[in-house]
Amino acid sequence: MLLEKYTDHINEILSRYPVRRSALLPLLNLAQREDGYVSESAMKEIARILRLTPSQVYEVVTFYTMLNLKPIGKFHIQVCRSLMCALVGSDTLVGWLQARLGIRPRETTPDRLFTLSTVECLASCGTGPMMQVNEEYYEQLTEEKVDRILADLKRDGTCSLKSGPFMFPQPELQQVKR
Amino acid sequence: MADVAIETVTLTIDGVPVTALKGTLVIEAARQMGVMIPHFCYHPKLKPDANCRMCVVEIEKVPKLQTSCSTPVAEGMVVRTATTVVNEAHKSILEFILANHPLDCPVCDQGGRCDLQDFSHESTPTTSRFVEVKRIFQKEYFSPLIETEMNRCVQCLRCVRYCDEVMDVKALAPSGRGTMTEIKHFSIHELDCEFCGGCVQICPVGAITSRLSMYEFRPWMLKRADTICTYCGDGCQITIQTKENELIEVNSSHGAGRNNGDLCPRGFFGYHVSTHPDRLQHPLIRRNGALVQTTWEEALEFIAETCLSLKLAHGPTAFAGLIASRCTNEDLYVFQKFMRLVIGTNQLDSSARYGHINGVRALLRVQGTHRWTIAFEDIVSAHALLLVGTNITETNPITGLKVKEAVKKRGAVLVTVEALQPAIGTISNITNLAAHHVTAHPERFGDAVLGLIKGVVEEGLVDPSLTQRAPEYVKAISEAVRCLPWSAIEQATGSTSSALRAAARAFADAPRAVILVGQGVLRAPGGSGVTTTLLDLLLLTGHHGRPGCGLAPLAEENNDQGAVEMGTVAEFLPGPGDLTDQAVRERIAGLWKEELPQTPGRTLMEILDDARAGTVKVLFVVGENPVGTLPHAARAKEALERLELLVCQELFLTETAALADVVLPACSYAEKSGTFTNTEGHVQSVRQAIEPVGESRPDWEILSALSVLLGYPIEYREPREILKEIRSLISGYGLLGPAPIPPRPDAAVVEGYLKKGFAEDVTSRYSLSSSTDRQAGNLTLVVAQSLFHSGKLSTRAKGLLELQKAGALALNPADATLLGIAEGDQVRLSNARGQMTTSVQVRDRVPEGQAVFPEHFDQEVRRLLSVSPDPQTGAPYFKTTQVKVEKV
Amino acid sequence: MPTHELILLKNMSTPGYTGSLADYERAGGYQALRKVLGKIAPADVTEMVKKSGLRGRGGAGFPTGVKWEFLPKDYQGPRYLCCNADESEPGTFKDRQLMERDPHQMLEGIVITCYAIGAEIGYIYIRGEFVLGAQILERALGEARAAGYLGTNILDTGFNLDVWVHRGAGAYICGEETALLESLEGKRGLPRVKPPFPATHGLYNKPTVVNNVETLANLPHILNRGPEWFASIGSPPRSTGTRIFCVSGHVKRPGNYEVPMGITFRELIFDHAGGMRSDKPLKAIIPGGASAAFFTDQHLEVKLDFESVAQAGSMLGSGGVTVMEEGTSMVWAALRLMEFFYHESCGKCTPCREGSSWLVQTLRRIMAKRGRHEDLDTLTELCKNIVGRTICAFGDAEVAPILSTLQYWRHEYEELIEAAEAAELITPEPALARH
Ligand SMILES: Cc1cc2nc3c(=O)[nH]c(=O)nc-3n(C[C@H](O)[C@H](O)[C@H](O)COP(=O)(O)O)c2cc1C
Ligand code: SF4
Ligand code: FES
Repeated sequence: MLLEKYTDHINEILSRYPVRRSALLPLLNLAQREDGYVSESAMKEIARILRLTPSQVYEVVTFYTMLNLKPIGKFHIQVCRSLMCALVGSDTLVGWLQARLGIRPRETTPDRLFTLSTVECLASCGTGPMMQVNEEYYEQLTEEKVDRILADLKRDGTCSLKSGPFMFPQPELQQVKR
Repeated sequence: MADVAIETVTLTIDGVPVTALKGTLVIEAARQMGVMIPHFCYHPKLKPDANCRMCVVEIEKVPKLQTSCSTPVAEGMVVRTATTVVNEAHKSILEFILANHPLDCPVCDQGGRCDLQDFSHESTPTTSRFVEVKRIFQKEYFSPLIETEMNRCVQCLRCVRYCDEVMDVKALAPSGRGTMTEIKHFSIHELDCEFCGGCVQICPVGAITSRLSMYEFRPWMLKRADTICTYCGDGCQITIQTKENELIEVNSSHGAGRNNGDLCPRGFFGYHVSTHPDRLQHPLIRRNGALVQTTWEEALEFIAETCLSLKLAHGPTAFAGLIASRCTNEDLYVFQKFMRLVIGTNQLDSSARYGHINGVRALLRVQGTHRWTIAFEDIVSAHALLLVGTNITETNPITGLKVKEAVKKRGAVLVTVEALQPAIGTISNITNLAAHHVTAHPERFGDAVLGLIKGVVEEGLVDPSLTQRAPEYVKAISEAVRCLPWSAIEQATGSTSSALRAAARAFADAPRAVILVGQGVLRAPGGSGVTTTLLDLLLLTGHHGRPGCGLAPLAEENNDQGAVEMGTVAEFLPGPGDLTDQAVRERIAGLWKEELPQTPGRTLMEILDDARAGTVKVLFVVGENPVGTLPHAARAKEALERLELLVCQELFLTETAALADVVLPACSYAEKSGTFTNTEGHVQSVRQAIEPVGESRPDWEILSALSVLLGYPIEYREPREILKEIRSLISGYGLLGPAPIPPRPDAAVVEGYLKKGFAEDVTSRYSLSSSTDRQAGNLTLVVAQSLFHSGKLSTRAKGLLELQKAGALALNPADATLLGIAEGDQVRLSNARGQMTTSVQVRDRVPEGQAVFPEHFDQEVRRLLSVSPDPQTGAPYFKTTQVKVEKV
Repeated sequence: MPTHELILLKNMSTPGYTGSLADYERAGGYQALRKVLGKIAPADVTEMVKKSGLRGRGGAGFPTGVKWEFLPKDYQGPRYLCCNADESEPGTFKDRQLMERDPHQMLEGIVITCYAIGAEIGYIYIRGEFVLGAQILERALGEARAAGYLGTNILDTGFNLDVWVHRGAGAYICGEETALLESLEGKRGLPRVKPPFPATHGLYNKPTVVNNVETLANLPHILNRGPEWFASIGSPPRSTGTRIFCVSGHVKRPGNYEVPMGITFRELIFDHAGGMRSDKPLKAIIPGGASAAFFTDQHLEVKLDFESVAQAGSMLGSGGVTVMEEGTSMVWAALRLMEFFYHESCGKCTPCREGSSWLVQTLRRIMAKRGRHEDLDTLTELCKNIVGRTICAFGDAEVAPILSTLQYWRHEYEELIEAAEAAELITPEPALARH
């Protein structure tokens, strides 16, 4: 139960809006963070909190692509496939990932560690090819970087190659080329 | 409304000058002058969404084509609806829609009345240049009554918008996005909603259809009869569509009737009652203790002979009659005439006695009208609405829609004093829309009303001109409420004094205010007293008598109001006129050319007493079912068993009919013509849709036939003749216009009430209900009307049985937890009178301490109930009691 | 390298700048706020912004001060500012940088705007994928609240304001301002029919201004240094100030470049972004994000300002400049963009919803060498039937890549279609799957 676990946080979210329903996406994001997807019971609970019908919650969940209605792997790899990234090799990146993980987009590895998706533009067009893994961005990917990222994720659950606050071209790094 | 200035603008549409109200949409202005602009997503009931883009027109000086469904008219606007550019645009939209639309018209129930089919037929080529793969949705089971075929959906969202904007149910969810948007319920679950059928009716194509009539017809095969629904007092106009005397479907066209085409599940899905296999097809007569089939001749002759000999032996006072308010005015009128003239007694009553009479008596007492002084239109345009004791969505769904419209579309302030509490559920809940809500205990509505009046007095909201006009009245009431301590009111109502004051202020401040009183008040002890006190609230706040303001008791049965007006209640002659009013008596006697009987009227409960005492020996029962309605404590069965002759005119072998000596098969509303008078007093035509089932005959005709055998013929060729006679008694009865013309309060009566009348019972009305605190561990059992049924009649409708086929006890989650009960568990209810078992539903809307059971399945529950008649009106109260609930 | 003064990227281009409140204040941050709050009347602030010539950086290029002025003057009741940080237009990645690297710059702009329009609540609607950006903004908001730049009685002027970050959840259309409002209200992000406009009926039906991150980030500078200064930059009078162009594609140094409006594509691509990444010549340019019509190498001298780009038949849009080299299939490029639009069409209006699915299928078929000659006419006509017939500008956007590639590179389509005629029919694709 979200409300029990996050009472204060949820109340704080509700206090930001003059109309309760506005808290819907924040609560859905919270639910997904909790379980990796938006479960039916979470939708029902959120509906109760916001005084909506479950249908009203459901229709919103299905509209937004980040919200999953089914459990997915521990690491959700989302490769941008839009034109700008495609110009610099996102299809190749998908190919590497398919080969390494043995799955195709929209599939999850049998160990339920990785789910592979292709998504549309993630606003990293100048630093493609790129992918987002759960909440982190990984940019300017090469085959070696992908290997390292996958290995680190498996081992540590995170990888230091993730992007920090974004700036490109970076003034500091102009000399220290990556 | 007189107080709104009407502004108009003039524009030209296709070269023709048109004047339209300011704010009118171009599409409507065009329709008014006979130009139909093709459209899918637009519907006059819904806010414009302009999503289909079909209705585009050219507007001079505007560069792009504009959607006429979302553009309001403007002065001097020049609109063209049929230029080459516009026509091309229409074609291109159709092309886009048809791209993904299957060509399955031959198997689609909408075929023949499909907007897409019609528009395409007019304007698209026979070949398509779409060569891609059509979008295909997985077919999913949607619900037992409603079928979806999403491949046909044009995504206009009319269904979704209707479900939200009009019904406030919000059950339909457009899921996904883009071309893959499909209409679903919650996730993969089958639809759970009010089943009003609105989505079926409003879908412009065949994406949402009724499963009850699936694959059974083509529109042009159907015979239509525009008639009135028989399930509640709202009096919705329905169109019964039949094929070879078979009921195929019911719908209601937009703009039709008082319901404006909106229906509820009972109206939309409940139509199979008339052709239920259990319908009585032949007269039955009791031989050797058992009812056996007989002929009409034999049955009627037997009745006549028995009656004549009993009348000879005991006189007319040994006779009494009961009739159901489901009958037409014509049936009701002939029934009372039969009782009064042919038999010679006033001992007759009808189901209006169960509660409706309480509202009528209060109205008569305070303002001299027996009807509402407002109409549905006044509900819609009220600024404040006070609902007391009515779960209006379930009892009077369409009046409920008027309330929703007032609140949601027009911003009216809603004050509810209800037994249910705000909570989101699968059925809409009127209290969710309330700005001020009092969750009153079902036996304490009166206390909440007193709280509101105290609020009015203490907040200084009493109309100053009333104080001037009736100082005594204002003083008496002010003093009476001052003596009521807030603490006691707060305890009785569970609401704070400040909440009650705020509600009082909201109500008092509104220029136009309407009060709706429901079964919770009318069928509960003190029903007419509380209604009278609510009229005090209108008087005190200065609303009484103002145009658009008034108090409206909600009729439960379709013709409760007619039953009163036809004189089929103990105290009234047709009119209604007082039984003891000499002038009225003389007028009627003059018309009937016969003296009226002198005996006083007897109410339902009195008639049963008389039967039990043996003074009443013969009882005519037309459609009424006291044995199946009253609790066991009323000992109705015992009473009827003592009779020497019990004659029942019925559709089915009810509990009462089963005791009869003769049962005569009567026609249902679908098989006869006549009129019903709805809750607002609108008299509407009932039209025959199918031939009588078996040998059944209309009630009036049966009575007429009997009258001949009894040597006192009252004969009519057809119902219209009866209506004519009714009109000669009640002038202008049933003008059948589009809306009723409500009466004005009788100033003399109001004066009399303010001067003196109020004082009769002001002390008793202005004291808090004597504490009937629950014993620890007990719950208050409330037997209530459900949305999916109406009386017991609808429990024979196969569609409605799909929605609710048995009773279950609805409990608040907190009580359920306390008792260790979960949804679906079996529980035992018990009290000193008896016990029963049933299953449990956990519902947020039921307040703590209460348990609600649907009256339609109350066979067992009636063991537990007590019954007490109202000392003034004789209305029998039996809807609440205390019970112990245990898990079994 | 840049020869002009940086405005928006200046702080973050300073080595060691972290974007913290301290850093921002040290760089002169929140001075504009001090100058404005309680000292310049809100209407005068609006006037200054009008005078600066600032136009929206979100895509439509609407004059910012004029937009603010549309709010009803005598309206009693709440008003809102929504900062559009949904940045989802393919080819655009400037707002992300502005938020993550210098959050206070835009926050200061937000406070000034709220002051000017009389809003006491502001929401930053940030696309759901920008988790880091949202965290950085939350932190910055916390700092600003603690320092008294937000909250009640800001800088003792009696002005109250709270600003909240609101994360989206994956829908390009929520960048459209009315869809953004719907989404912020907890609904599906479907654009509203206009009129009424957000200025009168916006968030919760109240007067509302929606402005892009970059637009807002300009405000502190305009108020600090005066509208005349701002109006002198770029190509006045209609395209004033700098813009951050997001260069992507086949260039040596893709990235965000802040330049005065009015430099040429050649300068941007060859001087700033380092020219083509290989020896292949430039073939095509998308001048303003995925919604803008393609340019060819013939357009290199076109100036990067609103008017010049419009005159040349495209739009400056969101500032995303994508460069494609010789050898890139234009049919493929159009298809990739069309797939984006098909994926993102909200589905509310018929032409866009049905058109996008039809167009994408046709393009896929042509690309798979299963095209027919009639297809090109059909494509053109379908596009024409979408333009101007939809609720929001998405409809116009989705056809721009097809129409422009058909205009300049029709032969590429024809070649594929001719190849189809030669080739045997391949097994048809399965039905469109759900996205
Ligand atoms: C389909 C569509 C997507 C849009 N996406 C964005 C976006 O991601 N960010 C943005 O700032 N504006 C976007 N816009 C423009 C906004 O509707 C709006 O014009 C802008 O936020 C106004 O801010 P500005 O005046 O500061 O530019 C989009 C418009 C459309 C039609
Ligand atoms: S143009 Fe497309 S994205 Fe915009 S409202 Fe219409 S369907 Fe939605
Ligand atoms: S009817 Fe006007 S857009 Fe659909």
